Amino acid sequence: MHIADGIISPEVCAGMAVASAGAVGFSLRQLKKTETTKTIPLTGMMGALVFAGQMVNFPLVVAPVSGHLLGGVLASVILGPWAGCLVVTLVLVVQWALFADGGMVALGVNVFNMGVVGALGGYAVYAGLRRWMPSPRGTITSAIIAAWLSVLAASTMFCLEFALSGHRDYSLPNLFALMTTFHSLIGLGEALITGFVLSVVLDQRPDLVYGQPSLDIMETEPPRRSWQATPLRTAVIGLMIALAVAGFLAPFASGYSDGLEAVAEKMGFDAQVDADPQVLVLDEYQVPLGSEESWFMSKLSVSIAGIGGTLAVFAIALLLGRGLKPGAEAGHAT
Amino acid sequence: MPRDFLDPYSRGNSICHRLPDRLKILLVLAMIITALFVPPENWPVHGCMAAAVFLAMTLAGIPLRYLLVRLMFFFPMIMGLAIAVPASTGFTKGWDVMATVLLRGTLSFMGVLWLVNVTPFDRLLVALRQLGLPQMLAAILAFMYRYIFVVFDELERMREGRRARTFSKQGLLAAWKTNAQLIGMLLIRSMNRAERVHGAMCARGFDGEIRTLDS
Repeated sequence: MHIADGIISPEVCAGMAVASAGAVGFSLRQLKKTETTKTIPLTGMMGALVFAGQMVNFPLVVAPVSGHLLGGVLASVILGPWAGCLVVTLVLVVQWALFADGGMVALGVNVFNMGVVGALGGYAVYAGLRRWMPSPRGTITSAIIAAWLSVLAASTMFCLEFALSGHRDYSLPNLFALMTTFHSLIGLGEALITGFVLSVVLDQRPDLVYGQPSLDIMETEPPRRSWQATPLRTAVIGLMIALAVAGFLAPFASGYSDGLEAVAEKMGFDAQVDADPQVLVLDEYQVPLGSEESWFMSKLSVSIAGIGGTLAVFAIALLLGRGLKPGAEAGHAT
Repeated sequence: MPRDFLDPYSRGNSICHRLPDRLKILLVLAMIITALFVPPENWPVHGCMAAAVFLAMTLAGIPLRYLLVRLMFFFPMIMGLAIAVPASTGFTKGWDVMATVLLRGTLSFMGVLWLVNVTPFDRLLVALRQLGLPQMLAAILAFMYRYIFVVFDELERMREGRRARTFSKQGLLAAWKTNAQLIGMLLIRSMNRAERVHGAMCARGFDGEIRTLDS
């Protein structure tokens, strides 16, 4: 998964390296502010652990291939976002310096994709979700979702960087579809491993998790209210899942029609395709954002159309659900 | 666990090992950037650089077999990425992009492989520090490198214990679960160890500042 040299152009590498250096520097400063002398041993040991954990092979159905932990979200969940970003960065540096895994010029790109977007972004998702689900099970669920998204986000970043590198003769929407399909499977593995590992840690030493109450007897806290499926929470979680599916899968579905259009163009009857695309607002499930030629706009518009459609359906469902609420009549009686 | 099982040839004493470390880093960096900027039509340039790397590998006493084994692991990874380019156009166009990626990728990989096999990690760290790596980052890296081997040994002990207690073949889900439990327990043990080490460091006067003998 590490990007080797030669894939991303040096200009993009330089830009990404500057961005990564800024983010890593910021993380260092945040750590210095909050932590005491413990930062160096804890972060270093976590890096060693993630490095060793990646050597544990998880067998797949296809026999000779196996997967392993990536560990970005796991490190963030245990040590917090800033140390998590550092851990991923350092693991990448050591892998480069010991195995020549991942390029030298491309190191900044790798750090950005996995450390900044993966660990910091993954932690943001995790922390946001955990607000809704503060129980241990909710913590695991949030981490699982964040781990899956972090892998997907890293692959999306790769596609963007590849596009910026100015290569010729490839189709970005299809490359995006290929990468996303592939990495949504990898992400599934990462999510599962992260969830399993975290459940072990929460079972044995819940105080190790960042932001979790300490086990110290001296600082007793009232027990946390366990998570309850209030209608609002259920609705929000359902909506988020639906939006994620719509946003991610909608562009794919149209990826095939892209291929069709390419064939049509070759055969010379592209005049018939998109004869009048702007009759309806959501014609062909696309919001008319710009020219049909620009791939990004077309993909983005499909995504927006998908998300908009989902929101509309959701709003209708909410309105309908209001009338069918089981407690409505009972409430009147009392 | 032997100290150099990760980069087995880094502690030799050839002319390449004796070159100044910063010079080596900058040389490899310059080579990779050249490889990235020279268009693939000028393939003789890439050829010359490949020959130079090959010569450097020979001078450093890195056996051909090791190089081939590493390339065997590297090739499927970059091939998987490179093949995605023609695959995205339905295998009609994009073959030249794939060739470019393969050419530049393999060349750069060999360059870095040479660098890490003629420079031990601790010297590389000093050189990177001299090239502007922040001190705290260098300190955490040094700590991490020190404990990678300890954590590996711990993992190996735990795996051996599991092997001694597991008599039947596991199903897929069970294998995943026990593997994750292995990592989870390793995480807890590592964090415990970090706390012990931290206590020992504090007992010896550690105040968060890293001091080395030459600073």
